[in-house]
Amino acid sequence: MSGAVSPLPPGLVADDVRVLMIVGAYGSGKTEIAVNLAIALAQSGRRVQLADLDLVNPYFRSREARRLMESHGVRVVVPPGALASADLPIVMREVPGMLQPPEGVLTLFDVGGDDVGARVLSSFRPLLHDGAYELWQVLNERRPFTSDRAGCVQAIRSIEASSRLRVTGLIANAHLIDETTADVVVSGCRLARDVAEETGLPLRCVAAMAPLAADPAVAALDAPVLRLVRHMLPPWSVRRSAATEESALPAAHPIPIGKPVAVHPANGREGAAHG
Amino acid sequence: MTKVLMKGNEALGEAAVRAGCVHFFGYPITPQTEVPEYLVKRLPEVGGVFLQAESEVASINMIYGAAGVGVKCLTSSSSPGISLMAEGMSYIAACELPCVIINIMRAGPGLGGILPAQSDYFQATRGHGHGDYQVIVLAPSSVQEAVDLMTLAFELSETYRNPVMVCADGMIGQMMEPVEFDREGRGPPLADNDWALGGADGRERRIVNSLYLTPEDLDAHNRKLKAKYDLIAERERRCDLDAGDEPADLLVVAFGTMARICKSAIDLVRDEGLKVALFRPITLNPFPFSELRAAMDALSERGSVLDVEMSMGQMLYDVRLAAEGSRAIAFYGRAGGVVPSPDDVATQIREALST
Repeated sequence: MSGAVSPLPPGLVADDVRVLMIVGAYGSGKTEIAVNLAIALAQSGRRVQLADLDLVNPYFRSREARRLMESHGVRVVVPPGALASADLPIVMREVPGMLQPPEGVLTLFDVGGDDVGARVLSSFRPLLHDGAYELWQVLNERRPFTSDRAGCVQAIRSIEASSRLRVTGLIANAHLIDETTADVVVSGCRLARDVAEETGLPLRCVAAMAPLAADPAVAALDAPVLRLVRHMLPPWSVRRSAATEESALPAAHPIPIGKPVAVHPANGREGAAHG
Repeated sequence: MTKVLMKGNEALGEAAVRAGCVHFFGYPITPQTEVPEYLVKRLPEVGGVFLQAESEVASINMIYGAAGVGVKCLTSSSSPGISLMAEGMSYIAACELPCVIINIMRAGPGLGGILPAQSDYFQATRGHGHGDYQVIVLAPSSVQEAVDLMTLAFELSETYRNPVMVCADGMIGQMMEPVEFDREGRGPPLADNDWALGGADGRERRIVNSLYLTPEDLDAHNRKLKAKYDLIAERERRCDLDAGDEPADLLVVAFGTMARICKSAIDLVRDEGLKVALFRPITLNPFPFSELRAAMDALSERGSVLDVEMSMGQMLYDVRLAAEGSRAIAFYGRAGGVVPSPDDVATQIREALST
């Protein structure tokens, strides 16, 4: 991937954004987008930390891409050791601190699905004033409850209600995994435009897997295109077991953000504080 | 019809509605909780009943009652919860009532873990509860197949008036894949019948009962059930064979998620020129004994068998029964939620072929 043109549309995540939270209905593609954004932002020179705040899904969480993200210099905060594969609602104690990241660091939260998954954010409401965060909702037209405008708006309102935060942008991510076509992406973008119009929220970008992102019909859309690589793969599509690789890692420990391993004083303190 | 992206658990719930089931009783447990989570939203849209019971014991007894009054009904759970349902399943089978039970298998024994496993094969196929009864067991290996088998499950349960279990590992329950449904909206209710309760106004009363105090009567009841199970075994075996270049030198046997991983592994070793076939039981009960035996008989003279499971070797017993000593059988299994990779299986295949 390195050396290639950045998959990130220019200016998608403004330099002054400190906290970016990705929410959406189940299956909207939040995790894939959060992992891709983390890696692409790190590659573009940003210092990025990501917390897996998915407390509702037992499998296919961004923690499964921890090693990959760390290899790109992303600091990944996930429950330690065996707790990473538990179905317990664990909020790591580093998380509140991540809401006020050190200068020059961007915090990404991969939040669990639906209003139930977003509820965890409500406890951070006192720490977040409007304007101090971006909360982007991912929309997938090909999911059962978000296949029309009313469903999408309802999904946005219910996530806002349970998180006690305001959605600040939309990402169109209509997809059927391997069976996604340009038509699916284009139609999903149209729906997202409708939702943007009704809610007044900006459509931040259209996400599409790498080959489709280059499709003329997708490239012609009047929205920036975020080019994705699929990282959340089923076990028959990855030759080597991710679980094996993960278990070969040393016990979870905080790593400094960014490459090379230049420790920012604030991160150093955070690292030392972690038992 | 338009394809939608669904998690296995949600797709199972939607498939039930389209099969005409709008009565769900269940209790949450990872990794199947999206079944009730989906249905609690979906059932009110079609005038159905969603009830979260206080336990799995209660769920299965609500199913007993709902099936008794002749409604299509569904419960779902994961391994430890299914253990709790054992007694109720025995009663339902004894009373010859139709119902569908979903087991999204997680790693055991005991509380085990939440990751996928296939270690409830014995439980599903050899009887959960007491007595001479059997449950039809269907094992999907994709989200689309989960949908298709759900439809079949309701058909079979009605045809044979017997519980049917859709038994999938946690990976099938949790993964998302595009699916399509061959029917719009809510499916039909159970056909008119002569056994469901519901008020004896103007007709003979009906009794749902599993208590037989006269030994000869209970013996006759058991013989009747056995004849039904034999008929099911004769008619309802389902499987999938990828024979490859015949005759193959190795037959891999696997079901569910493991079969898909084995397929990826076999694609790898076929590129190396190895002749390997894949046999995938779709019905775990009735087990496709004769079809598996035929696939074994089609192997090369010294061809052997490799059984791969996410368990310590449970289907292995049925594979041995099918072979009746005619072939050497190797086994590879992982437990605890460890899902073997295609590379792991390819290594086992190469090893099996070199000995």
